[in-house]
Amino acid sequence: MTGRQRADRLAGLGFVAPAALTLAALALYPGLWVLWLSLQQRVPIFGIARFVGVDHFAFLAGDPRFWNAARVTLVFTGVSVALELVLGVAVALALQRQRAGRRLALSLLLLAWALPSVVTAKLFEWLYHPSAGLANLLLGRELNWLGDPSLALLGLIVADVWRTMPFVALLCYARLLTIAPEVYEAARVDGAGRVATLTAVTLPLLRSILLVALLFRTLDALRAFDLMYVLTGGGPANTTETLTVYAYRSLFQTLQLGFGSAIGVVIFVLVMGVAAAYLRMLRREGLAS
Amino acid sequence: MGWAALVLVAVLALGGCAERPHDAGPVTLVFKHAKILGPADPMPGLLREFERRHPGVSVRSEPLTWTSDEQHQFYVINLEGASPTFDVLMIDVIWVPEFAQAGWLLDLSPWVTREELGPHFPAAAAAAVWRERVWGLPWNMNVGVLYYRADLLAKYGLAPPRTWEALVEQAARIRAGERDPRLDGLLWQGKQYEGLVVNALEHLWANGSALLDEHDRVFPEPERAAAALSFMRGLIESGASPAWVTAGDEELTRRPFGDGRAVFLRSWPYAMDLFEAPDSPVRGRVGIAPLPARRDGAAGVGATGGFHLGVNRRTRHAEAAVALVRFLASEHGQRGLTAPGVALYPTRVALYEDPAAVRAHPFMPRFRDLALTARPRPVTPYYLMLSTTVQPEFSAVLVGVKSPEQAIGHARRRLEYMLDGIR
Repeated sequence: MTGRQRADRLAGLGFVAPAALTLAALALYPGLWVLWLSLQQRVPIFGIARFVGVDHFAFLAGDPRFWNAARVTLVFTGVSVALELVLGVAVALALQRQRAGRRLALSLLLLAWALPSVVTAKLFEWLYHPSAGLANLLLGRELNWLGDPSLALLGLIVADVWRTMPFVALLCYARLLTIAPEVYEAARVDGAGRVATLTAVTLPLLRSILLVALLFRTLDALRAFDLMYVLTGGGPANTTETLTVYAYRSLFQTLQLGFGSAIGVVIFVLVMGVAAAYLRMLRREGLAS
Repeated sequence: MGWAALVLVAVLALGGCAERPHDAGPVTLVFKHAKILGPADPMPGLLREFERRHPGVSVRSEPLTWTSDEQHQFYVINLEGASPTFDVLMIDVIWVPEFAQAGWLLDLSPWVTREELGPHFPAAAAAAVWRERVWGLPWNMNVGVLYYRADLLAKYGLAPPRTWEALVEQAARIRAGERDPRLDGLLWQGKQYEGLVVNALEHLWANGSALLDEHDRVFPEPERAAAALSFMRGLIESGASPAWVTAGDEELTRRPFGDGRAVFLRSWPYAMDLFEAPDSPVRGRVGIAPLPARRDGAAGVGATGGFHLGVNRRTRHAEAAVALVRFLASEHGQRGLTAPGVALYPTRVALYEDPAAVRAHPFMPRFRDLALTARPRPVTPYYLMLSTTVQPEFSAVLVGVKSPEQAIGHARRRLEYMLDGIR
């Protein structure tokens, strides 16, 4: 290495340092602190602070409420993200074909996406109202949406899909706009029908953007909190309590900093695991190299 | 959510700001309180009056959001971070022992004797005292009451029910007679949240049972508690209450009753002001009764809620802060709550017979009788732990996922792990 190269290298490190230090201070330090907290029994209002090792994790392993929350989190994430992707692609394709009113449709989509989720939750609270709500009026039935243990999670998923499907739709729509018309022309010349064009041309071209959308949506859904917190409070009978709601209740409502942090660590590991898996997939696609 | 945890932790770690020395100049008190909802806000007028009476002291009022959970979170972060950025705070009654235990509240006993709490309703006064010390002064209160459709009961020659069993019979009779499929029997709050615990407590008490006894035992009488819970489940199974009460909170249940679509409603006093509003469909047709008893149980008792005023232990102006709290909690200060258009109810018994107050809220004397016999929720520093643990269990009973015995067993086991080393 020449002196010039060494100087460059040093300058480069200097430029990266502020960002790296900020990240370390804002993410790494509190992250490690949460890990340290999770190994303690800490209830500040009772002056309790003692090291308990992995006791909390051992309790969680046998805690039905924890496993229920984990199951709810995974079901919510899996179903809502799948629906969002399918509907998002469908809406993007519809938008592409649409001639009139495209701008209006785009703004309506954006509106749903731009609403704060607490507002969405309040909106759906009244939509789901058992006797006066629009949902039951349209269905012509008196369904107990948020009070029935077999329906409440579905109700939340529908609200989440309504809110975040536009994100997927807009991403896909943007990608569709960049596909050259010649590609479709060539497909037509080759004698491809509508279905063949969709499966052999459009979808493969959407693949990479869909992976990005999938990554964002999965990570968001795993950490979902506001919707269930406002709409159901985790009920009935904890059928909509996700890991984040469980962690919130332990940390902020009952002030068990150690126990709550242990749940936080589990969520962190889960999210990091999913993120790593997706990143590997994206790298194979050559998107994140 | 992970982030919120990180922020809390960061605040805990970085907190502990240095305190400035006491300065003798003009004093500014910072007062954190819940935003006052309703058409009229008595707070600014009261604070200006306090400033006039105490030259050299000014009060800056900083409203918090109305959600109780968010207020709690704000206080926890700021008080645990030892932040002296506010002097006087309004706190939900159920937090008083918790904040006192944590050492966040100034012990008011040197200024306020137990006798000074005498003119307040006993339930409100009881919630202000923890370990024989006074930690806050009661400011406003709520009490659980039974609303009934006086016109419908009169039509069938019925008096307001004295027992829950009679209420169920009356609801069935009126609904059968009215032949209106949109008319429900009894509405109450069964969503998985604090309101469910309040409703369940009232049923436990009516059955001579409790959630926590004076020896800190959880569910001291599990059989009676199970019977009370299965009665609540029975209300839904028998159709006396619609199935959707398992998702009902105060507003979701208040509205249908206010539209004339239910015979009975368990709610708080604020609802009466709305039922008597000029455009209300049930105006002049709603009666108020004490919550019923159980046929073989104790008398029906409403649970109380409301807000108390406390002083931050880290305040640099203890004298002025205590003066403000006492001023707001005084009879004169609480009279501000009884003005027309204010939807809060004072904690001082005498005000419920004050002519001006009764003119603005004609039902105050009726609420007075009910509030006199009301009971606070368990006064304990781990109330929130207790409540959030039993919420999902009670909810599971209401939707039929668990039997009452199972739910009580699960709640007890959980609380034992959580409270291990605390009690």
